[in-house]
Amino acid sequence: MKSMKLLALVAAIILAALIPVLLPDQPYIVNTLTLTLCAIIPAIGLNLLYGQAGLLSLGHMAFTGVGGYTAALLMKNAGWALPEAMLAAAIVAGFAGLLVGIPCLRLRSHFFVIVTLGVGMILYTFFNNLDGITGGAQGLPGVPRPRPLSIGDFTIEFRTPRGFYWLALLTMLGTLFVQWLIARSPFGFSLDAIRQDETMAASRGVDVFAHKLAVFVISSAIAGVGGALSVTFLRVAAPTMFDLHASMNVVAIVLVGGPGYLAGPILGAFIFIALPEFLRVAAEFRLIVFGFVLVFIALFANRGLLGLADSVWSKMKRDRMADEAPGATRTVKSEG
Amino acid sequence: MLAFAEQGMNGLMMGAIYALFALGMVLIYGVMHVLNFSHGVLFMAGAYVCQVIFAQLTGNYFVAILGSMLVLALVGCLLEKGIFQHLRGSLSMQIVASMGLIMIVQNSIIYFFGPLALHMRVETVESKIRLGPLSFTAQHFVIIGVALVAVVSLDLFLRHTRLGTALRATSQNLEAARVVGVNPDSIFLMTFALATALAALAGALLGPLFLISPAMGDLPLLKGLTAIVLGGMGSVPGAIVGGFLIGVLEAQATLVLPTDYRDAVVFAALIGILLFRPYGLFGKRERGEP
Repeated sequence: MKSMKLLALVAAIILAALIPVLLPDQPYIVNTLTLTLCAIIPAIGLNLLYGQAGLLSLGHMAFTGVGGYTAALLMKNAGWALPEAMLAAAIVAGFAGLLVGIPCLRLRSHFFVIVTLGVGMILYTFFNNLDGITGGAQGLPGVPRPRPLSIGDFTIEFRTPRGFYWLALLTMLGTLFVQWLIARSPFGFSLDAIRQDETMAASRGVDVFAHKLAVFVISSAIAGVGGALSVTFLRVAAPTMFDLHASMNVVAIVLVGGPGYLAGPILGAFIFIALPEFLRVAAEFRLIVFGFVLVFIALFANRGLLGLADSVWSKMKRDRMADEAPGATRTVKSEG
Repeated sequence: MLAFAEQGMNGLMMGAIYALFALGMVLIYGVMHVLNFSHGVLFMAGAYVCQVIFAQLTGNYFVAILGSMLVLALVGCLLEKGIFQHLRGSLSMQIVASMGLIMIVQNSIIYFFGPLALHMRVETVESKIRLGPLSFTAQHFVIIGVALVAVVSLDLFLRHTRLGTALRATSQNLEAARVVGVNPDSIFLMTFALATALAALAGALLGPLFLISPAMGDLPLLKGLTAIVLGGMGSVPGAIVGGFLIGVLEAQATLVLPTDYRDAVVFAALIGILLFRPYGLFGKRERGEP
């Protein structure tokens, strides 16, 4: 079973990596998929925060913005290369998460949720108005594309849609790996405990506040990486990329995909970003239908689509076991 | 000093709008423990329905307001029966459903009325009222007056009628209310209808003063959420005080800071207050919380 899962994962990665080669004259599809990959990264950050630790942030894209502006400034004005700028984006966004987390994480349930909304709004106001640093409403255009990477004679070009797609895929897989590592670490188990019952976790010796703060910082740092990737792809850092609509979208990506599932953000981002792009109908009509889909998910799939698939799967398994069970009892009886 | 007084009046007016808006949200939260993030588009829809009734049917602004409240109350009943009744206790799914509703309502409005903002030509906006050196539109006074009447009559309703008492009982303890013969389903339905009617009232009041547009509910939603958190999640007087505080604060903030920072000031104040009162101004710790 485990090796089957690994095999499926490797096959999925190879297939994802081959898409630009299989579709050589479809730059539109490749670009849309790259945009989706960029959106998955902050969603992975939020999935750690909400799916793992049960903390819902409605202003998470603000940290993506902090990372995005950091990377844009460093690459545009200081001539940094993407990897260093991405690291700096993660550090600065993580630090912003620390500053926000210390006061806000002391608040409970709904208070925390709404305050994160406020934090998102405050940071957006700064992005939109600090003209000297962020370029105000126009943002920072002209973020350079990453330089080509040369290993011996072999050169990988990141300026083409295909090259950037691979870069985005690699970055996304990297953050996915971090999410996987955290989920199966003692730290991740403590976060699970906090999500399920905070008081119980505290009584078992988990330092609840320190754990929450740590996951908030990590999640903000991951969001910052996503920001660095997005601004390099779009070649601009603009306030509307990181406003409350963007934050609500990333929340929807996580909730619709399936919070707490490793692949949840991936499925969610495909449904939210790639699917509407590919199903081009009249704009308003498409969004109205999409709204009905969301209501449907809220009513019938309260653990997201992966959660729905999971419960259907385990119900099928239970039914099969129930079918086999009478036979099993008979054998025991005949032996007795 | 003049600017101070003028902004004080503007603050009171916006505070009245926020209070009406927050009152609806807090009723739903208090009774059903549902945070309805789609309250903003219901506010917006209220303004549009009012405009349609005003311009196409009657031409009487106050009749149009009542009509808009009635229509939105019906919409509220549908939403409660069809959606929110089933989502009690799941904050994340309330958010997903609300996002869906926001998409449905906002894009339907764009589909039928176009994306551009509309003017609502009510005479109370044109006529000016002078107070010494200050001059305000009559609409300023209409908003504050109607909001006060609405708040006072809601208070009387909640405290002195059987239905109001049943509603308060349900919000305090659902099981106990059921035991003494309150039917929670009908109370939930009434709460939602009342709350959406209040949102429509706020939208219909503010509509003529500014333009009405598909996005006009976004900021009131944020301010309304801030007001009920500031007031203490579930406290009716808290929501009213919170709404007025925010209105006055943001109006005065524009005197000191550039207008663009107005919303940031409100949220910074919220965070500051919660640092000292983590359960809001009128909030109590919920049962089971340390």
